[in-house]
Formats: sequence, C-alpha cells, structure tokens
Amino acid sequence: MSVTPTTAQIGDTLPELTFGPISRTTLALYAGASGDHNPIHIDLDFAKDAGMEDVFAHGMLSMAQLGRLATNWAGQDRMRALSTRFTAITPVGATLTCTGTVVDRHEEHGRVLLTIKLAAHIDDGTQTLRGEAKICGTP
Amino acid sequence: MGIFNRSTKGHVTPPIEVTLERGALAFFSETIGETDPVYLDPEAAQTAGHPDILAPATYAVVVGTFADQIARRKGQPDILELINGDLRVLLHGTETYTYHGPMFASDVVTVENEVTDFTDAKSGKLEIAHITTRITHPTRGLLVEATRGIIHRLG
Repeated sequence: MSVTPTTAQIGDTLPELTFGPISRTTLALYAGASGDHNPIHIDLDFAKDAGMEDVFAHGMLSMAQLGRLATNWAGQDRMRALSTRFTAITPVGATLTCTGTVVDRHEEHGRVLLTIKLAAHIDDGTQTLRGEAKICGTP
Repeated sequence: MGIFNRSTKGHVTPPIEVTLERGALAFFSETIGETDPVYLDPEAAQTAGHPDILAPATYAVVVGTFADQIARRKGQPDILELINGDLRVLLHGTETYTYHGPMFASDVVTVENEVTDFTDAKSGKLEIAHITTRITHPTRGLLVEATRGIIHRLG
C-alpha cells in the first residue's frame, strides 16, 4: 500500500516527479502564464549582455514542481507551508527530478503535522532547489 | 555598496485588488504541467466540492506579480522598482508560503507587500532584500502569506 499523509512515518518517501526537458518554449510560456517577464529567462541578447552564456529557467517553475509533488500526494487542503531555497541555476534543456522524504511527524494542538524535505536535481546531479513542505497528517 | 534602496525598509505598498481570472489560472496550471483536473476544469473542481478551479501551491507569486502589473498601470512603482532591483544581477534566493486557506478562480483578493529587511551575505558579495506579501480575501481573511529573498550579485 502506498504511503498517505495519514499513514506516513519518518523516512517514508513521496512518489517522485520528473519535469522536462525544459525548453525555451516552456520558459516563454511560463513567462506569460506567471507574469514574470524578467528577460534573463527569455531573451538571449539580454542574458548575454548581463554576462550569462544563455537564458536560464525561472526558479519558480521548479518550485511549482515541488508544489505539485506535495499537492499530488496530499491534496491542497492539507498543505500548511511550502518553502524553497534556490541553490543553483537550472539551464535550458534540463530535466528536473523532484523528491520528497518525511523527516518529521509530530502532534501540535491535537493535529498531526508532517515535515517533508523536498529537493530538485537536474540531469548532471546538481541540486537546484531544496525545500520543505508542512502537511497536515490528521486522519 | 549595495544597489537596493535600503531606505524602503518597513515600507508597505498600498493594497491592490486582484481578480483570479479562470483562464489565466488554468493557463498557469497547464504550463507547470499540472494534470489534476481540480486545477484545470471548473466542472471537476465543483464535483470535488470547490466553488471553482483551485490555484496551485505556488500561484501566490503570480497573484503578487499581477498586483505589481496593476500598480504600474496605476502609475505606482512595483516592488522591484520600489527597492531598486537590478534585473541584470538579480537572483531569486528563497520563497516561502504559509497557507491559511485555498485560492480559487474568480476570487477577488487584496495584495499587500512589505519590505521587511535588507541583509548582506558572503562578505558583501551578495545583498538580499526580504519581502513579505499578504493575500487576503474580503470574507475568508488571510489566504496566503509569502516571504521572498531577492538577491543582488555584487561584483
């Protein structure tokens, strides 16, 4: 039986999620859909002027994947918090692998609260995001 | 010396009303690869007991960005302009959401930003602006509080 928020124990892992390869089209669509028009993600001329070799993916596109990993497992109504630190740039063409592990489970005010450690890695093994979700585990 | 305008510490932006348009929300869900119909299809969302399609976990940042766009259209500075953010050397450092209630398509919410602090890291090679965004619904109260660390790479 697969792990659910109400049965999860410390050390359990959530179903992995992959996203990509992240194309320039994906970045253009994300810019439009999110309203984040920062040209560093979509305009190669701007990126080069800023000293970058190429455009790179929006960090928030990757955080959205960590969000999906958590909500696909728990449902939006159990989400209490989601946090991320962006640890490396995600290049064009990368495929993300997102993982989650239960690292804490305790009762607070009569409710069960799970802490899920989250991470995103790209093809070469670089960790691009690390984060945490707080999820309600009360039956 | 940093680039951020540190005199804006403590500044709270005027509240901006944002309507969560259904088409825009579904477009975002699709773009991030969401396949759960509660984020895409109003009928499926209603069958699941929601008034309309749900906003995904990171949609708060989009609502904040839309509020920025509305502020600019009103002739007010957006948050980056306010703190003097420079896109050429800007990186997103951290992002945190605390959820108090769900956001749905057709919700009309109020967005307020607060410049909470400026800090330095890596012996002055990085400067960080700390911004808190609160998204509030007129009857359901505070829905999401977002905090963000925006970094300038200096030299």
